[in-house]
Amino acid sequence: MTRAEAFSEREVAMCTVARMVENGRTYWAAGGGTPLYSILLGKKLYAPEAQYVTEDGVIAPEPMLPYEPMMTMLAARASYRALAWGTMNTAGIYSQLGYMDYGVLNTLQVDRHGNINSTFLGEWGAGGRRMHGPGGADTIAACCWRTILITDQSKRKFIEKVDFISSPGYLDGSEGARERAGLPRNTGPWRVVTPWAMYDYQDRRLRLMARVPWVTVDEILAECEYKPLLAPEIQVLEPPTEEEVQLLRTELDVRGQTTDAAGGWIVWDGEKYIRGGGD
Amino acid sequence: MTTVSEPATIEVLASGTAPYHKIDPDGFREWVRDNKQRALVPKLMTEKEAVQKFVADGDYITYECNYLTRGPNSLLHEIMRQQKKNLWIAGKFTYVDVGMLVGAGCAGKVDTGFFLCTPSVRQALDAGKLEVYEYSNVIMTMRLEAGAQGIPFIPVRSFGGTDGFNHSGAKLITDPYTGQPTVIIPALNPDVAIIHVQQADKFGNARIFGTGISDVPAALASRKVIVSAEEIIDTEEIRSNPGLTKIPYWCVDAVVEAPFAGYPGTVPGYYASDPAVVMEVFASVLRGAVEPYLEKWVFGVNSHQEMLEKNVGVAKLLDMRKRETIRGGLRA
Repeated sequence: MTRAEAFSEREVAMCTVARMVENGRTYWAAGGGTPLYSILLGKKLYAPEAQYVTEDGVIAPEPMLPYEPMMTMLAARASYRALAWGTMNTAGIYSQLGYMDYGVLNTLQVDRHGNINSTFLGEWGAGGRRMHGPGGADTIAACCWRTILITDQSKRKFIEKVDFISSPGYLDGSEGARERAGLPRNTGPWRVVTPWAMYDYQDRRLRLMARVPWVTVDEILAECEYKPLLAPEIQVLEPPTEEEVQLLRTELDVRGQTTDAAGGWIVWDGEKYIRGGGD
Repeated sequence: MTTVSEPATIEVLASGTAPYHKIDPDGFREWVRDNKQRALVPKLMTEKEAVQKFVADGDYITYECNYLTRGPNSLLHEIMRQQKKNLWIAGKFTYVDVGMLVGAGCAGKVDTGFFLCTPSVRQALDAGKLEVYEYSNVIMTMRLEAGAQGIPFIPVRSFGGTDGFNHSGAKLITDPYTGQPTVIIPALNPDVAIIHVQQADKFGNARIFGTGISDVPAALASRKVIVSAEEIIDTEEIRSNPGLTKIPYWCVDAVVEAPFAGYPGTVPGYYASDPAVVMEVFASVLRGAVEPYLEKWVFGVNSHQEMLEKNVGVAKLLDMRKRETIRGGLRA
């Protein structure tokens, strides 16, 4: 596989998630952006027998790509050649019953225990900033066996405690907190993927487990509001390949709606990767 | 027979603090008894008549799908044109719809879900003209499911532990069967549902093709139901394939013939979206310029048909129809 010469940070995160997609597993893609493109990329290149649902209850579609703008759910091309069509409640019920192995989510803020905020910055109802709300992510985070969260590596997004829990992680981090709140047992956050790093959880606390070649552990930690646990050995993630970014740009994220989002670009200068742009 | 010892009492462990639309299963049954037509009565009317007759100021309203995909856009536009006030909106699975209704001055409360929190929404929140109560998409559609079953609440396996729970009408109880903490959510019986479908007969028997959000629960759970349809078909056709009927006539109070009612969005099997206008509405609503959009597409015309004639034109409509090449399962 050929190394990609230039790619965006968001493309890095999507490629990292795509490589985690497994045959014979089910995925619930939250919304229609990064999570859906990551799953489709993984399905096309690495795990053709991975199956996914979206919030309209469609099972295992073979979408006619590319999508028209904003048409990643409910539209004919999005639900094309599915095995079954459904509704939002059928999607919810599949997850309640335990059929959904992985939920893939994108978020604005995540805290040490994997709690997600997509509702409100600041104190609720007291002049803070309202955002769009959880959508389907609350049910995904509650009921899929494992959740994979995609976010940016930024101090503002990787925070000690979210202002508002829109979708549940390990809540206060204590053992059994999710069950005490009525959520199904043995569920919860599994991985967090950023353009710079990958994290898992140890005793319900975030732990850095891998980094991309062009950033150091110290640079990653500088973009966390709190210090996550560190795995004994920090692995190095493989950068995107030509094949991956080609597919993202020509079939999935063709208008760059996702790849044009915040973050820098990475360029291979013949010897090493150089990061530029972004914030 | 073996008996199982069970926890005897239901304890309420926690309660959300938000107001919720009134729960009244017996009142709903009586509404059905007194208002829903059992006879096969033609219900065809214009969008104007349907909204005048069945949408009142202060109503709790749910719409199916959203502005981009099989949205009941001709009815949404008519509600804005008629300047209905203080509506309580089920803002589930929504991008621009809530921002448009707020921008048009129609909304007083929103249960969400998901919606783009646009400048018009922020202004209304800051001015104290809008209240938002927190749910999530599936929690909202499960509330409709409870409403559709005629029961007062439904247990769910999600929503617990969130701050949304605290600002909602949900409760955490000990389940009397398992003894486990379990979240229950209030049933939702909207005053009015507006639903766009591909085909319906004049009595309201409706066919929906493709995926959906909560069309059937919304139709069952709502006191007043307005269906708009791309095509009005003969009842003989309904009878020739009853398995395709998703909403039975007795739920439906008004049927509006509304070709291209989903414009600028798509109606699967019938037409693709108009991407330029989809981006126009996104940009307008997100950038705080919802008024010019509403002026051009809603207030500047008298009906959906006039909007199609004046602002869209036959060539574009035919092109949208041509671009919708997928028909499998989306046409009878």
